[in-house]
Amino acid sequence: MSTHRQFINQPDHVISEALEGLAATYPHLLALDASASLISRVHPAHEKVGLVSGGGSGHEPLHAGLVGTGMLDVAVAGAVFASPTAQQVHAGTTLADGGAGVLQIVKNYTGDVLNFQIAAELAADDGTMVESVLVDDDLASDSENDGPGRRGTAAVITVEKICGALAEQGADLPTIAAVGRNVVARSRTLALTLDGCTHPGEISPAFTLNANEVEFGVGIHGERGTGRIPFAAADALTEQLVTPLVESLGLKTGQPVIAIVNGLGGTYPLELSIIARRMHEVLRGRGITVARSLVGSYVTSLDMHGVSITLTAADDNLIAGWDAPVRTPTLTW
Amino acid sequence: MSTTIDGTTAHAWITEFTRTFTHAQQRLTDLDRLAGDGDFGTNIASALRRVDNILPATADATYRTVFTAASLGFLGTGGTSGPLFGMWFRHVARSGNDSATLSELTDGVASGLATVQYLGGAKVGDNTMIDALAPAADALKDAAASHLSIAEALEKAALAGRSGALSTGDLIAKRGRASYVGELARGVLDPGAVTIALFFEAGATVTGSSQLWPELGTEVTTQ
Repeated sequence: MSTHRQFINQPDHVISEALEGLAATYPHLLALDASASLISRVHPAHEKVGLVSGGGSGHEPLHAGLVGTGMLDVAVAGAVFASPTAQQVHAGTTLADGGAGVLQIVKNYTGDVLNFQIAAELAADDGTMVESVLVDDDLASDSENDGPGRRGTAAVITVEKICGALAEQGADLPTIAAVGRNVVARSRTLALTLDGCTHPGEISPAFTLNANEVEFGVGIHGERGTGRIPFAAADALTEQLVTPLVESLGLKTGQPVIAIVNGLGGTYPLELSIIARRMHEVLRGRGITVARSLVGSYVTSLDMHGVSITLTAADDNLIAGWDAPVRTPTLTW
Repeated sequence: MSTTIDGTTAHAWITEFTRTFTHAQQRLTDLDRLAGDGDFGTNIASALRRVDNILPATADATYRTVFTAASLGFLGTGGTSGPLFGMWFRHVARSGNDSATLSELTDGVASGLATVQYLGGAKVGDNTMIDALAPAADALKDAAASHLSIAEALEKAALAGRSGALSTGDLIAKRGRASYVGELARGVLDPGAVTIALFFEAGATVTGSSQLWPELGTEVTTQ
């Protein structure tokens, strides 16, 4: 069996050392508060709604790589695949407040939801206005049951981009929160993987697959998906992601979408472009216009050799928000 | 018999709770392994270490500063039980100032219970800390209404919390980590509920109750 070696020093130090490295790489953009694992803008914005997001680590460049003008004000990093504590999120929420309130962007996981909610209450007691947008875009975890609901995955990028643009333009907190919730409602994501991911310091992946198997409907925490499908060529696998998304969003001919073809950490750029090509063909074939798209690894699951596709039913306003200027380590235009 | 909980008593309460929790930690971790992912004991122990680091010195302690330290220590904890305990302690802390009367403590415990239920979404019977906390809160309310002493009231709360914790052995979890294993968790006491019982037992002990508290949960660790 192959071993999955990693470039780490000690498993306990991966988060703090990675944040230090990120801050050192972008000194003109980012500041680091090592005590609470916060990355914030080096020049904090004032008189605008602050955006804070965060969650477990292992999803880089999310969220710290999206801190900067036009996107987040503060990112809070937890341990690998584990929510930051309420105290950390409280510190991040307070730091993000430039006087016009704070929008928390939260991926739907029990621990994240709980700790952001507690932090929101603590911040509200300090006099900070707080609203939250819960991102729950993962189609595979859609269920009728009274469970935790759909997981939050790569649509968080679209939410952060569009809400970030509105905040920069001076929109108020309720407006930005409403748009954020609208983006979530219009977005769905579906993912598959050819392999499990391996935690820092471990030598074998969380699960393994045979050469003829693909894990379908995975999230971003290395857990198993909803089922296994036969391995096939990239075009066929891509279709199996795109078609259910189009159907669940009820996309009709002429509908513009914002699309994200997202690598889960171990998928190389050449593969992602091949998947993007087929996604464009399938959508074109259904008369759906890809108004804007991103192709790259933005919301990863450590070294997982997988891909997710996110579609957001767009309109002119959302596209304008997407097009607004952004300057972060990961997205700049 | 004292009619309020002052800083010295609150300090002794947290210290005794830490002592009894530390004594029970392995047992609680074992319970959590049977029904959860086994990190409960470590998380709460790390919270208590943080509490100990920020606990005011006995001479400076007030009711509010002691329980605020407890709240902050727990809010800095991973997992879901730690932050819920942190929010509960926050309400307990805010119910008094230099000291708290029984009725103030009772109000703090009840409003903390409401917040934990709202945040965690659990009801009585879901096999969580609520199964011990809700009866303990009710017992305090009854005791306050009957003008019992603080020691008598905490003893009643501890007995109610303890029987609530014991009831979790018959339940199938609907919330929390144990909900993922369903029937497998039958017969296993919820460690969060046991911890709530330990907390009130510690309160009873430091306010002068002579009740003895045999270990909870030992009867199921061999299943």
